[in-house]
Amino acid sequence: MRWGACSRGVGFASWLVAALAMISHAAEDSAAPHWSLRPLRIAAPPTISPAEEPVRSPIDLWIRVRQVAEGLQPTSEADRQTLIRRVSLDLTGLLPSPEEVAAFCSDLAPEAYERLVERLLASPAYGEHWGQHWLDVVRYAETEGFEYDRHRPDAWRFRDYVVRSFNDDKPFDQFLREQLAGDELAGSWTTDATGAPQLTDVQRELLVAAGFHRLGAVRRNAGNPELAFSRHEVLTEMTDILGGAVLGLTVGCARCHDHKFDPISQADYYHLQAYLAAAHEYDCVLAPPAAQAQWKSLTEALNRHLAELRKAQGSTMGAPADELEGRIAEVQRLLPAPLPTLGSVRNLESDRTAVHILKRGQTELKGEQVGPRFLSLISTTDSTESLPPEIDHPRTRLADQILAPGNPLPARVLANRVWQWHFGAGLVRTPNDFGRNGQEPSHPELLDWLAGELVRGNWQLKPLHRLIVLSATYRQASGAADPRDPQNRWLARFPRRRLAAGELRDALLQVAGRLTIRVGGPSVMTPVEADQVALLYAPGQWVVHPDAAEHARRSIYLIAKRNLRLPFLETFDLPDAQLSCARREASTHALQSLELLNGSLANELAGELAHRLRAEIGSHGAVADESRFLDGRIDRAWRLTAGRPPTELEQRRSREFLSVQPLEEFCLALFNLNAFLYVE
Amino acid sequence: MDPIAARALKRREFLSTAYCGFGGLAAAALEARIARGAGASPLRARAPHFEPPAKSVIFLFMSGGPSHVDTFDPKPLLTELNGQVRPAEFGEAKYQQIQQGAKLLASTRTFRKCGESGIEVSDLFPHLSRVVDEIAVVRSCFGERVVHSAAQYELFSGRVIPGAPSMGSWLAYGLGSESESLPAYIVHPDPKGALEGGQPMYANGFLPAVYQPTMLRAGSRPVRNLDLPAGVNPHTRRETIRLIQDLNGPTADLDPEFSARLGTYELAFRMQTEAPEVFDLSGETAETLQLYGVGQERTDDYARRCLLARRLVERGVRFQVVVSGGGPGNLQWDAHSDVNENHERMAGHTDQPVAALLSDLKRRGLLDQTLVLWGGEFGRSPEAQSGSGRDHHNLGFTMWLAGGGVQGGRVVGATDAIGLRAVERPCHFRDLHATILQQLGLDQELLTWPHQGRRERLTFLSGTPLDEIL
Repeated sequence: MRWGACSRGVGFASWLVAALAMISHAAEDSAAPHWSLRPLRIAAPPTISPAEEPVRSPIDLWIRVRQVAEGLQPTSEADRQTLIRRVSLDLTGLLPSPEEVAAFCSDLAPEAYERLVERLLASPAYGEHWGQHWLDVVRYAETEGFEYDRHRPDAWRFRDYVVRSFNDDKPFDQFLREQLAGDELAGSWTTDATGAPQLTDVQRELLVAAGFHRLGAVRRNAGNPELAFSRHEVLTEMTDILGGAVLGLTVGCARCHDHKFDPISQADYYHLQAYLAAAHEYDCVLAPPAAQAQWKSLTEALNRHLAELRKAQGSTMGAPADELEGRIAEVQRLLPAPLPTLGSVRNLESDRTAVHILKRGQTELKGEQVGPRFLSLISTTDSTESLPPEIDHPRTRLADQILAPGNPLPARVLANRVWQWHFGAGLVRTPNDFGRNGQEPSHPELLDWLAGELVRGNWQLKPLHRLIVLSATYRQASGAADPRDPQNRWLARFPRRRLAAGELRDALLQVAGRLTIRVGGPSVMTPVEADQVALLYAPGQWVVHPDAAEHARRSIYLIAKRNLRLPFLETFDLPDAQLSCARREASTHALQSLELLNGSLANELAGELAHRLRAEIGSHGAVADESRFLDGRIDRAWRLTAGRPPTELEQRRSREFLSVQPLEEFCLALFNLNAFLYVE
Repeated sequence: MDPIAARALKRREFLSTAYCGFGGLAAAALEARIARGAGASPLRARAPHFEPPAKSVIFLFMSGGPSHVDTFDPKPLLTELNGQVRPAEFGEAKYQQIQQGAKLLASTRTFRKCGESGIEVSDLFPHLSRVVDEIAVVRSCFGERVVHSAAQYELFSGRVIPGAPSMGSWLAYGLGSESESLPAYIVHPDPKGALEGGQPMYANGFLPAVYQPTMLRAGSRPVRNLDLPAGVNPHTRRETIRLIQDLNGPTADLDPEFSARLGTYELAFRMQTEAPEVFDLSGETAETLQLYGVGQERTDDYARRCLLARRLVERGVRFQVVVSGGGPGNLQWDAHSDVNENHERMAGHTDQPVAALLSDLKRRGLLDQTLVLWGGEFGRSPEAQSGSGRDHHNLGFTMWLAGGGVQGGRVVGATDAIGLRAVERPCHFRDLHATILQQLGLDQELLTWPHQGRRERLTFLSGTPLDEIL
């Protein structure tokens, strides 16, 4: 929750009214620790009578017991073509090819599904897909937001770090530790003869990981700097993300006042912030000082010139202004490419912010100064006494506290996220809030068991994925909504879901045979309509990649720019990367239909798919021959988009359409099919 | 015939009538939509919490921040103190650029008591001064931030950081669209360029994408994806939509979302066929075009956008932003160097269209149900910058409201004697938001969305409606 960040400067009177209204609520039952703060209670899975099977995983036992209690029957297992489409999209975000579907359907070996799961987990596409889930949570973007929305040209290194970490199945506790304190863990390094930093691969990785603290939007000031205030904004942003993303607690609420629902005092909040007090932006430039100086002087000279041109432009109108626009673009092209840089943070002891408890969260109302201390509601070594503000490696210390055995939150929060990313909704349906204001878990024992498995399995996610996707619960058919459980909380059917924004774009490219598969590297700006660029405060920021093949890369490699999101993705609920997004919305509205009917992406790729079908099925012979290939093309088109052959009725209707209408239009229609847009 | 085939056929029959013919068939489509429960559309018109005076909002957004002391808030003492440092008794103020010790700058505008109400309006607005009895001037607005982007976020969403939904998205969520064929929330950007807050200022934030703004583009077909792609035959496309409906139809009952999605194709089709007509101003009379200033170089652009706003209000669009100013600061109301030059130009573009919009809404009986809001993200400093310019100023400035149950001819609130600080009935952006919600029949405490552990609302904790003018 962004209570804290949002409440800057709230009038005291209105604050007081709300505070009084909420106090009574907070008072109730404050003695017993909230469920999420109690130690993990790992029980043996329940037993059920053989009549209640199928059971393929301990998970099914808990799910089934609850279904029995609710009087619900699980749905039968999904057919193979549904299953491979589901698990492929779930684990890699990509469609299975018709050949993969066919191979899986004809593989009668008992462990065929297990082998499929292993193949998918080993695919580099797994990290691209699951990395995106984490990037949503940590509000990853490559630009700074606010008016300048300045690009951080090396921010993609953090994205690659995340993708790599998922693909390597890096233990998640280590993954968190690196993001919280990578720069501290990296230690020191030397420079070579030219003065360029000499870093090991591990050190590079660790510095990039700590870029986590810099992912939020940053307001760069023009004019009067209000330094203390800006610094406070940055620290607030850094503190709040720890709460939602890592701890699953809305600590931000306690910035202006004691938390209304959870036992987090305002003092707790500032003690937590004190761990971050010395952390400042640090760009580690991988070039000798001489090259840096040269780069800097050239860039500054050109920027000065640009500023003059812009000033001139501001006071002229019409044709001279347009001419100036052209000259501005010219000079912009002369700007040298940024030097390779690792965007990180580092502790500057000399510039450590004195953290005070701030009355109502206002920088000018300073209370007592505080040092690092971990949240008092979690019992760890640091949670009682305040440490000296100048303590060494404060964020390593913070990571130790967060990951201490006495803190059950990270494992529970993570196990719940993994469940949510498989099933669309978590066992706790408020994934960033495990506090009293959040929801209770639907299956508390199962959640604790999964968290326990996670910890026992060295915090690696792939074993957890296996447990889940091999379960009978996961393998059920989706079927029709059951009025007795419209929210599908008891999972008596597999929850159907619409493809997410990036998945949908990737799937379109994939079926059209256009997807460029390449892992990692700098992000890509694709062509967008001129009016989109015109809506940028600095239109010159949008520089389309010269290589068209790059435009067809997976969506995770498109630039994450806060002030320009591709309208296609935005319409399908791409999160805005301003705040942590724990779960994507999946809305349904007419602008989506217009996008898929009239949008340039859908129409262009429908043409490509038609081209592909003609190339794959049938010759380029005389027109009279074309109808011979119709059934084959229909069949192929359905297999590519829906992952299955058409039913007889569908085949007939498709044929009827194609006897009159062009193949391109048929392909466009398939992009609009539920069988394509949804995962069953 | 097997039941699925029979249903598909039935649906196809319905669709062929709905899509291949017009006229009386619109009613059939509507009926079918209701019967099928495609009322699941998230943009369907929703009942307000209580009976409201207003149905729609038009926000005339003067981006960059018009100077209150040169427009609606005359300050004789400022004239007296011209060239002096601000006396200490007025207290401190933080500006974006100008430093302590800057000299106060008198306004050189002429103010006149206008209309029956005698509201003082400067000579920048000769047209508006003739309809001044329709407007209620709030002289005591204030916000938290003195830089554009943060102030713009606060003006639109009540938060000084991006990521919270704008008021337009909240209204689209609360009330849906009255129109069967148009989006609920439309922004008319200034073609001269973008603003500092950028797209996130208008956006739906954490609300679902269905509540996003539709950004109109310059030109005759301003809505994205409303046109058939080049080279596509409309008849063919109609058949394609039929094919989609036929193939998706049999699954519609499986999931409420499938049924809702089926409905979106009908709505999309309506938007495609009916919306272009809305954007065509050629049906307006010469008198109306002249009233707004269409065809006159100075006013043409803003006049067209104001006139279009009226046409969209007539068709039930809920919330519109008509932006004045875009691109570099001086092409907004951001008069850092010469306030007169800037404001004469900006007022020159907008005064006649704005006044025309009020008169036109009124004579069509639409003003009572349309809340019109005028203003920027802040005002301008009483002190001078760069000689005759003024810096940003967030501690006290003017906005005005009209229509939608607002009593015209009123002045509410006041700044101190030099226009530095709101001292009487200070009106935070949240109070404006509370006013808008109330006039549209929405309870600010009931219009909520769960986000990260809090039931978020537009007015954050609470706003106080401007009951003085309602």
